[in-house]
Amino acid sequence: MTQLFGAPIPRREDRRFLTGAAGFLDDLGHDALAVALVRSPHAHARLVDIDVSGALDVAGLIAIYTYDDLAGALAEPLPLLIPHPALTHGRTAYALARDEVNHVGEPVAMVVARDRYLAEDAAERIVVSYEPLPAVVGIEAARRADRLVHDDVPGNVGANDTQAYGDVDAALASAPHRLSLDLAVERSASTPLETRGVLAEWDTESGRLRIWSSTQTATGLRAAVAAKLGLDLTNVEVITPDIGGGFGVKIVHPWPEELLVPMAARALGRPVKFTEDRGEHFVAAAHERAQLHHVEVGFDDEGRIVGLDVRFWHDHGAYTPYGVIIPIVTSTQLLGPYKPGAYRVEYDSLYTNTVIVTPYRGAGRPQGAFVMERTMDAIAHELGIDRAAVREMNFIQPDEMPYDFGLTFQDGRPLRYDSGDYPATLEKLKKLVGWDAFEMVREAARAEGRRVGIGLACYVEGTGVGPYEGGHVLIETSGKVKVATGLTTQGQGHQTVFAQIVADELGVPISDIEVVTGDTRRFPYAVGTFASRSAVMSGSAIALAARNVREKALRVAAEALEADVGDLEIVAGVVRVKGNPGAEIALGTVAVLSNPLRYAFDEASQAATQFVVGDPDKPPVADDDEPGLEGRDYYSPPHATFANGMHAVIVETDPDTAEIRILKYAVVHDCGNLINPRIVEGQIHGGVAQGVGGALYERMAYDEQGQLQNASFMDFLMPYVTEVPHGIDIDHLETPSPLNPLGVKGAGEAGVIPSAAVFASAIEDAEGVRITSMPISPSELFELRRTHEDRR
Amino acid sequence: MKIAGEATLHAPIDRVWHALGDPAILASAIPGCERLEPAGPGTYLMTVTAGVASTEGTYSGTVRVYERQPQSSFAINANAAGVPGTLGTDVRVRLSEVDGSTLVSYDADAAVGGLIGGVGLRLLTTVLQKTADEFFAAVDNALTGNALTGNAPAARRAEAPAPRRFPPGVLVGAAAGFALGAIWGRRVR
Repeated sequence: MTQLFGAPIPRREDRRFLTGAAGFLDDLGHDALAVALVRSPHAHARLVDIDVSGALDVAGLIAIYTYDDLAGALAEPLPLLIPHPALTHGRTAYALARDEVNHVGEPVAMVVARDRYLAEDAAERIVVSYEPLPAVVGIEAARRADRLVHDDVPGNVGANDTQAYGDVDAALASAPHRLSLDLAVERSASTPLETRGVLAEWDTESGRLRIWSSTQTATGLRAAVAAKLGLDLTNVEVITPDIGGGFGVKIVHPWPEELLVPMAARALGRPVKFTEDRGEHFVAAAHERAQLHHVEVGFDDEGRIVGLDVRFWHDHGAYTPYGVIIPIVTSTQLLGPYKPGAYRVEYDSLYTNTVIVTPYRGAGRPQGAFVMERTMDAIAHELGIDRAAVREMNFIQPDEMPYDFGLTFQDGRPLRYDSGDYPATLEKLKKLVGWDAFEMVREAARAEGRRVGIGLACYVEGTGVGPYEGGHVLIETSGKVKVATGLTTQGQGHQTVFAQIVADELGVPISDIEVVTGDTRRFPYAVGTFASRSAVMSGSAIALAARNVREKALRVAAEALEADVGDLEIVAGVVRVKGNPGAEIALGTVAVLSNPLRYAFDEASQAATQFVVGDPDKPPVADDDEPGLEGRDYYSPPHATFANGMHAVIVETDPDTAEIRILKYAVVHDCGNLINPRIVEGQIHGGVAQGVGGALYERMAYDEQGQLQNASFMDFLMPYVTEVPHGIDIDHLETPSPLNPLGVKGAGEAGVIPSAAVFASAIEDAEGVRITSMPISPSELFELRRTHEDRR
Repeated sequence: MKIAGEATLHAPIDRVWHALGDPAILASAIPGCERLEPAGPGTYLMTVTAGVASTEGTYSGTVRVYERQPQSSFAINANAAGVPGTLGTDVRVRLSEVDGSTLVSYDADAAVGGLIGGVGLRLLTTVLQKTADEFFAAVDNALTGNALTGNAPAARRAEAPAPRRFPPGVLVGAAAGFALGAIWGRRVR
């Protein structure tokens, strides 16, 4: 049988998705009661009064909830999911606003009605009186701190932290060359095409709660709901249906609705469902990216960085449920594949009266890569040397791996690169994009009156963070294999890659393998799907579990075949003695034998009954054994594994309109061993598309009162296929990770990380004007040209 | 959002001043106005039915006129809320006589909140331009003696002089002193 690990097989789930057979949250619970939320229209206001009287005579109204209806732990603020010592002023919202609202879209009241139309009708009739307060919008306003988001948070500073190695001040003071840069990245949002949603059913008889949610963590949500509703964990089940994209926004949990809907289902004894609409998603979910950075860099005549001092300001929005993960990631991942002689980074994480900020695909890395790569380009410009050469000069070399910076990563563990070959990656990229021959391209274009530019950007991405994931593999008596892992799936192709792993480990056809993810009934211990960790974490755990099952299958089969375990192999679902045709037993039969029976239910099971098998002098199940052919195992890494990649882009800018066109986009990517190259390339395509959006189109247009003015797909410019490069040239390096049994690294976020950096580099190269802020629109480029001309 | 603009009304300044303070004239001139009642000195309660595309609804709120310098200038503060969102605005209005007509100029600082705020200025801008035209035409008609046909905007529109172009913004509110009417004064069809 050919090996499936590494084979670019098509995704097994695509047929379902492409034929409309997938089941998303809103496909469920048609008879459920519907929910509509009353949300704050103000960015900052005191709640004066909520008058529901006008809504009470709406036909079909079932219930209205405000803060006063919340009891026990539900009346307390939402969990602060990831505490950190630097987060000295962490604040979270209430499930329904208590006496203050801090961003447009914050939920104030929840209506439950017979259907969504009626729920909306009733919500419209609820009159909420506010006393508007001045809003803090944008990082500059937060830093000025002449207005506060939370009265008890001085300076609007939620967290401040510094990490460093070496003596940066001394390194900068003695550096032959120095530069200062101010670099900005604007706010954006991941906008998955399926918005948030939750359905809950309460079984009054058994006192059990069953929840379906479009979440990136079934187990995390389960724990949060159990705690907030005062239920035992075993009485709460969370199931994730098909999920139409997560990109980080759905790792936040519990969303207010994920508590309020189960609460209502329990109180009313009927299924209740909430489906977020697009307008709500823009103002009631989460955003990311907005940061301002100041860089002081010192370097030698060859461009080698001797000292790097970065100060940055992170806008985390109104509350901090996800802690300071993003600024930590920026602080550490900013370094990329480079090893500055000394490094110091300090950030302030600031409150603003805008939607909360939580990780969005890339999660602080796009900003970090932007800062580092802009710095590299600035050094090259200052010294008049090739941009690729400056990068090469600063690379960590393969023989320096593992490379430990002495800093702490987002998982609380050392920032220690496990493997990677950055010079080889760059070599491949230069070839792929035609770096060395580009001056000829530029000249040819110039002769035609066209303006082109090339840029490149490198990154290193810590993937597969812990604490752990688990896998369960069970061989049915039919020979079919059931695989379960607790983390969730939102489009990654887990049904394909996890099955590929198991098919190889067990020697069974992939068509016999079924994979279930994100269902606490099937696997109750898990963390979640984020930080490009699924293949690393669950992939490894499932491989280990499959090996346990294989070991048992061979042991049971050896007994049945009266052969030595070492002489057995499993091919196409059959255990056989090597070199002895005919001496074989199907895995399904092994499964029958592994479970000693008193009662037969069919012909196959007769083989496992008490008068047929077993040594009468021994217990049917040995002391250290258990019935059934199944295995469970966990994978818990010492620390993250670090993937890397480099992107290059060639752009053309219109001399008149400043329109920016992509001529060529090239990616060299190293995520260790590839389980399925097709899926990895798909992840890169999707990431690049999202990165194009982030670099050239998408932003959150808040006005100074904190109103989001582009809260729809009419005005928030998600790129269409027409804006995404037609062909993306991809090459891979496979530098295995030594940290996990499969040698894999994560790939989910890679495509989006260097986008802002690589486009800035290319546009700057085409235009000869400094690009210090992203995203950039044609109008902004036009303005840059004008101010650049004026300055001359 | 900050908006500024101006309009010419074909009447002497004293008549314009009077008209812009006459709830009856304003109630009929503000498109979609259902209620405009005095509620204390310089204060009015107002209800308009209005909307932009899918965000239509009824808005209720208060309008306060202050810093009145007769036949010269006044200021307005308006706050209203409806299902699609909220509106708060401060408007400064100045009047000056030009060749027997009156030039009304204004600047406004408006905060549009909630759902309507997120739908985008693109939609609002178009609506505001049309609404402003209609409002000024209606007030001008009242001043010049052309008959108003009740609350039928289409008919009024047909009788109105050729539309003038006004910059986008809270035009009517600024000019008339009732920003609500300006923004929410008419359903878009």
